[in-house]
Amino acid sequence: MSHYEVKAGPEAFLPPAAATMGNILPDPGEAHIGGKIVPEEEAYEHAARKILGAKVPTIFPGPLVLWKWNDHVAAKAKAIRELANEVPMRLIPMADYRPKYPKIDAAVEINPNHPNLTIWHNKIDVCIFIGVHCHQANLALKMIRASTNCYTMAMCAMAGHEDACLSFRDADLEKIQRLTAAVKKLKAEGVEVQANSFTQFQMDRSGFVVEPVN
Amino acid sequence: MSKEKIQICEDLADIMPPEYHKLVESATFGNQDRGWKDIGSSTELIEQHSLCAGCPESIAFRYILASLPAPEDTVFVGSTGCTSLVFPHVAVHNIHSLFGNQNAIASGLKRTLKSRFPDVEKDVVVLAGDGATVDIGLDMTMQSWFRQEKFTTICFDNELYANTGGQESGLMQKGFVAKMAPKGKNFEKVRLPEIAREAGCAYVALLTVSKPNRVEQVIKNAVLIAREVGPTFVQLYTPCILEIGKQSMEGLDEMKDSESIGGRFVQKEYISDEAQKLLDSIKIETKERKKAAKEAAKKPVNA
Amino acid sequence: MNKQVDLKGKRVIASKHVKLGQKNRKGQTYTDVNDIFYKAEQTPNFLTGSEVIKEAIRRASVGTSVAYPITPQSEAAALIGELYAEDYLDEYFRGESEFAVMGQCAGASFGGHRVFTTTAGPGTLRAMENFPMWAGSRLPIQVCVTCRGINSPLSIQPDTLEMHYLLETGMLVWHAETAQDLYDYILKGFIVAEQPDVHVPIAVCCDGFFVTHTKDTVDLSPEELCLTPYNPYESPVTCMDMEIAPYRMMRDPFVMKSNYINYSTHASWQQEIKAAVERSRKHTIALLDGLIDEHNSDREILIVTSGTAVSQSREAIRLLEEEGIKVGLVKIKTVRPFPYEEIKRATKHAKHIFVPEFNVAGWMAREIKSTIPDNERVYCGPHVAGGMTMPSEVIVEEIKTHLGIKTAQNSR
Ligand SMILES: Cc1ncc(C[n+]2csc(CCOP(=O)(O)OP(=O)(O)O)c2C)c(N)n1
Ligand code: SF4
Ligand SMILES: [Mg+2]
Repeated sequence: MSHYEVKAGPEAFLPPAAATMGNILPDPGEAHIGGKIVPEEEAYEHAARKILGAKVPTIFPGPLVLWKWNDHVAAKAKAIRELANEVPMRLIPMADYRPKYPKIDAAVEINPNHPNLTIWHNKIDVCIFIGVHCHQANLALKMIRASTNCYTMAMCAMAGHEDACLSFRDADLEKIQRLTAAVKKLKAEGVEVQANSFTQFQMDRSGFVVEPVN
Repeated sequence: MSKEKIQICEDLADIMPPEYHKLVESATFGNQDRGWKDIGSSTELIEQHSLCAGCPESIAFRYILASLPAPEDTVFVGSTGCTSLVFPHVAVHNIHSLFGNQNAIASGLKRTLKSRFPDVEKDVVVLAGDGATVDIGLDMTMQSWFRQEKFTTICFDNELYANTGGQESGLMQKGFVAKMAPKGKNFEKVRLPEIAREAGCAYVALLTVSKPNRVEQVIKNAVLIAREVGPTFVQLYTPCILEIGKQSMEGLDEMKDSESIGGRFVQKEYISDEAQKLLDSIKIETKERKKAAKEAAKKPVNA
Repeated sequence: MNKQVDLKGKRVIASKHVKLGQKNRKGQTYTDVNDIFYKAEQTPNFLTGSEVIKEAIRRASVGTSVAYPITPQSEAAALIGELYAEDYLDEYFRGESEFAVMGQCAGASFGGHRVFTTTAGPGTLRAMENFPMWAGSRLPIQVCVTCRGINSPLSIQPDTLEMHYLLETGMLVWHAETAQDLYDYILKGFIVAEQPDVHVPIAVCCDGFFVTHTKDTVDLSPEELCLTPYNPYESPVTCMDMEIAPYRMMRDPFVMKSNYINYSTHASWQQEIKAAVERSRKHTIALLDGLIDEHNSDREILIVTSGTAVSQSREAIRLLEEEGIKVGLVKIKTVRPFPYEEIKRATKHAKHIFVPEFNVAGWMAREIKSTIPDNERVYCGPHVAGGMTMPSEVIVEEIKTHLGIKTAQNSR
């Protein structure tokens, strides 16, 4: 049985779901890198290196962390912000999953029905999904792999994603913080941030407070 | 969901697009007295849609969403048809499953929400086209009424199958020439309001969407009666301007014509005695609540 | 494709449900499925298959069950009604048709309940449009299919043709051989189907009458223990209760606007359902101890099949053994996911593979043929259908005839 490696694309017109290629999700305490099951510890460092080595590292926070639907998520949102600031990484939200008409603004939003638009528009080379429902995350991850060269990661609160190039599972507040810590540690060890400088956009009800500058 | 929970996490709020800020800041979630008049002054629960320009379904949607007594605790069930082009953009949970099974879905859903949330009133509202309600789904529509399932059924009656290109439907007028009725429809428009009444609906209303205040009132009546008494049914004329050959500005006139004396959509209501009692008590309650609120506002603030 | 997952000795990841260890309103304790089956003592009971379904549901913490009469599941469906009357379930009612029932089940599942229903034959086909909808909507509903004929003229007798129609619905499809299997599969089926990485519907199938209406000794777990409830927020999709973000949420939207990008969403969605079925392997292997059972599968002659055809084959193998003909057996427990790798491996040494089936189509033989190399080794048969029994002697006869061994019948 040959191992199906989940790599950054562009892979194919319609690449397979990794699970149908025999890839298995990690058990608690584990993660996967490229489809290979590894101890979770290893994945933090790998993810941190990917983030630090990227030109346009980006976090895609999903509805489960954008909306304050329970008491725990506010803390997660804070931790995500800290991770973004530490690198620094861009933040582009996936506020819901509807197919937007006539089109989304790919500069400031990602949609699971055409995630590649956002990747292309912003030239994102490394991304991490946090707080997206697993079903929609998997749809998006496969499409990103199909047609972009973006290296995808997932901080999944449930069982993880084979369709990401790297995935954590059971992600809670602490795991987000541990990823931030891993970034900090590498930086302290002298690993340099490769990210292009940028200005994180900010919005309120009337539009941009700060426009994105790439 | 209490209104307080429909909030954005502070630490990520500044990356959310404007429409979500507006939704949180100025939609009328949790406002007992919400209604069609909020349109224009508050954020609507419908963001955008891809219906034909001028399609009366869009205004009907807006009135209905503005009139729901508690959108923060309402779940919609739709069906296949033009309405399903709108639902993805509506800020309440909603289900599209199949064409015609909407009242079956709603039956299972309402009972489950009742058992999972015994202390919260979770309203279930079906909104489907005439083809879905009367033709392919009539069995499930009526059976849910027979079983006295406590939810509201709204039918967008455009008198044809719009989404598939204008075929004959059971609610089409007799004689109308349409696709699949090449010699004209040869039986009468199905008398759904009467069927609904006989099948056990506690409240039935037939009207057009030309007058927002009327739409608001029947939607409120229907949802509140469904909570306490039994199934309710609202049939709204939302003419398919595309298939009857009207311009985008002509929808309103078409509705007005059809509701004038002798028309197919002269407003009618059937209200069971029990439902009427409830409406009367709600009227009194609302009056007293508003009066009390007015008086409280008048009182000087304690120094 | 479909690497075999080797997890011998492992169990499914233990439930973390907040109610674990608490008592329900009937005084049953919410217990992890591993503990129910592998720690608690199992006691033998002499029951019909229908009664076994009832006993499984008694312990399953089901929220909603919707019923509709059709032989041979009517009795089981009515017995679940008795459980409801005793307050074991939150909701139970008779729907108006199988199409409606499956819609009502979907509504209950969209709203966050664990849902169970039963159907058979024409009922399964009447309901058919719902099954891929359930799967596409990621609703982990369980339907117990007590197989019966679907063809005209009407037949109420056992026949597994209807299972073939379920294969590409995106559901998990398991096939119980005995009442014991039925008990185990129903309870374990909920747990596998509801795993957040799986979260698709499951059809637990059994052969009507043979399993539902005969009495058998079945080991039951203690009545005082029940499964931990379904947690609708431990799900890959949004529960439709307005208690979870996002609020602007449709289940499940049209994504078919006419451009390539949205078609690819649809394709990706279908792939995801297939992937979910694949992911169930890991959990199923742990709970069912593999997707297949093997007895002497290193032999040159093998019988590979599922359901009660397995029981009949066991007896046939005994009869053949008496004559010095050694035959091995592979029992297929899950038809979806199909145990491709397991069957490939188990049939490696076989020169002749027989696939007895209770249907005229021979769909199981086709599945096996499309899985293994040198598939001319597969003999499609024997077949019976329409409610006929499959006497072990018929299996013996057909094997011998195919192998060129003279029998009283074939030398006449
Ligand atoms: C089982 C099934 N049969 C037929 C269709 C095709 N179909 C889709 S929408 C539609 C007509 C909808 O008519 P109506 O309910 O009146 O809604 P409208 O589009 O007029 O608003 C039909 C026939 C389908 N989707 N499913
Ligand atoms: S086809 Fe008719 S009903 Fe559908 S959106 Fe257009 S005008 Fe409205
Ligand atoms: Mg119509």
